[in-house]
Amino acid sequence: MPAPPSAEPAASPFIQIRGLHKSFDSQKVLQGIDLDISRGETLVLVGPSGEGKSVLLKHIIGLLHPDAGSIQFDGTSLCGLSERQLAPLRRRIGYLFQNAALFDSLTVAQNVAFPLIEAGIKNPAEIKSRVQEALEVVELDAHTEKMPINLSGGMRKRVGIARAIVGRPEIILYDEPTAGLDPIVTDVIDHLIKRLQKRYHVTSVVITHDIASVFKIADRIVMLKNGIVYFNGNPDQLRHSPDTFIQDFIAGRSGMTS
Amino acid sequence: MIAPSASTLSPQLPTPQSVPSLRRMDDSSRGPISTLGRAVLNFINYFGQLGILLGEGFESLVKTKPRLHLTMEQIVRIGFGSQVVVIVTGAFTGAVFTAQSYFKFRDFGIESTIGSIVSVSLFRELGPVLTGLMVAGRVGAAMAAEIGTMKVSEQIDALRAMGVHPVDYLAMPRFFAMTISMPLLIAEAVAFGLGASWFVAVLGFGIPSAWFWMHTIDHTNLEDLSYAMTKGLVFGMLIVVISCHQGLSTTNGAVGVGQSTTRAVVFSSLALLVTNFFLTLLLNYIFPMGTIT
Ligand SMILES: Nc1ncnc2c1ncn2[C@@H]1O[C@H](COP(=O)(O)OP(=O)(O)O)[C@@H](O)[C@H]1O
Ligand SMILES: [Mg+2]
Repeated sequence: MPAPPSAEPAASPFIQIRGLHKSFDSQKVLQGIDLDISRGETLVLVGPSGEGKSVLLKHIIGLLHPDAGSIQFDGTSLCGLSERQLAPLRRRIGYLFQNAALFDSLTVAQNVAFPLIEAGIKNPAEIKSRVQEALEVVELDAHTEKMPINLSGGMRKRVGIARAIVGRPEIILYDEPTAGLDPIVTDVIDHLIKRLQKRYHVTSVVITHDIASVFKIADRIVMLKNGIVYFNGNPDQLRHSPDTFIQDFIAGRSGMTS
Repeated sequence: MIAPSASTLSPQLPTPQSVPSLRRMDDSSRGPISTLGRAVLNFINYFGQLGILLGEGFESLVKTKPRLHLTMEQIVRIGFGSQVVVIVTGAFTGAVFTAQSYFKFRDFGIESTIGSIVSVSLFRELGPVLTGLMVAGRVGAAMAAEIGTMKVSEQIDALRAMGVHPVDYLAMPRFFAMTISMPLLIAEAVAFGLGASWFVAVLGFGIPSAWFWMHTIDHTNLEDLSYAMTKGLVFGMLIVVISCHQGLSTTNGAVGVGQSTTRAVVFSSLALLVTNFFLTLLLNYIFPMGTIT
């Protein structure tokens, strides 16, 4: 499906993915992904489970290395960079893991403070206030001293979001930020993503299965299917797509009758 | 005529397929050889991976500042936390060795010299090896389990995603803590071993305390201490490198964490025992056993 005409600015894309292939053993997951992400946009990644959305997100931050193809981050190719060379690029990215991946030996506050301390911020008062601020945004400021093991799944996810945004990264990659959250908190997170975009011009890539969220936050939607980009367009184009798979996906129809 | 096939060209050479006994031999010899080949490759691959980890550790040492806070935390857990285990090990080893020696030495009437053999054995072999094995069990297992759990729950990836190298954050503090703690733990084991030996020899078997100490001090020298400390350092490094490697290469969820933990203990214990032998030969070359009269 073609990209929307004239939506792309002339400047080179913030992130450019070309011909990305990735297999695990014999399982082909990504089979030639081409994707540009421009600065300041909110791109929503949808598609059936197990199609490689998380795998794609991990390639953008260099946690996985492509079998073939290239990824450019702000003009720098990630291919061939060592872990240590990737570190400065990664500090410009916030990443929410699908399972939150909180450090279970650290408290909520220590988890959220982690990126700040690693960024070299020494002033304890500044760290404290920024951690507090990030936790307030996800409505968890009452739980700073808890250990992650004692939190519910949804709370962990929100701590993960706070940890991803606290360092004020240029781009935030959210892997299912609202899965397991109640409708109200989902709305809070959706607004947070848009607010960061408006105030700080943050670029966001959001994987979600929540179709309501998709239409609330997306500037552009990319659907992965069979290891390739199956759809790439704005919400209106998605809504009016003649493709039956896309229409069934939006409407949540499996074709089953009971 | 049709072109001759290979078998008609050399009819005297039977192909494996044509001779049943030959084929059987061929099959049965392929199994073990390929199994052996794979084992050798795995072995080489394993050392390659340890080498890579060592290389990353060295890079970390050169390029990054050590994380003192984490190192202190590990010293408390590894060093401080292992003391009970190490004291009990040292003390009862010293005690039983003293008892056994006494039963034999008594026949020759030289039981008052017990302190010398106990001391040298504790310093050179029993202290380092038994402490090392206990620490491999306690600390190696904990390291592999903790790091392995972090690996399978994506916490290691979370570190990487925040620009923190897992070797800097997890392996190096443990490495520093271990190289500091092991020699001290061994010294502690030896000290308690000697104390227990005195207890058994003097209070248990009535050997005069002054004689016990005289023989002990006379036959223990700086070389024996060097043995203990060198071995402690090397064993500590072995345990930490093998266990961190197991942790960092864990896959397969909870089952994988279990495997890594077991392997960390087994591999580091075996490596420790094998290294101990060669290290003893090397150290004996550097610090030859003094001429005892
Ligand atoms: N590290 C890995 N090793 C092996 N297979 C993997 C790994 N990561 C992902 N996969 C496989 O890749 C496929 C895509 O996974 P994922 O990207 O998590 O899907 P999703 O689109 O639901 O996020 C799945 O079939 C998964 O089993
Ligand atoms: Mg996923």
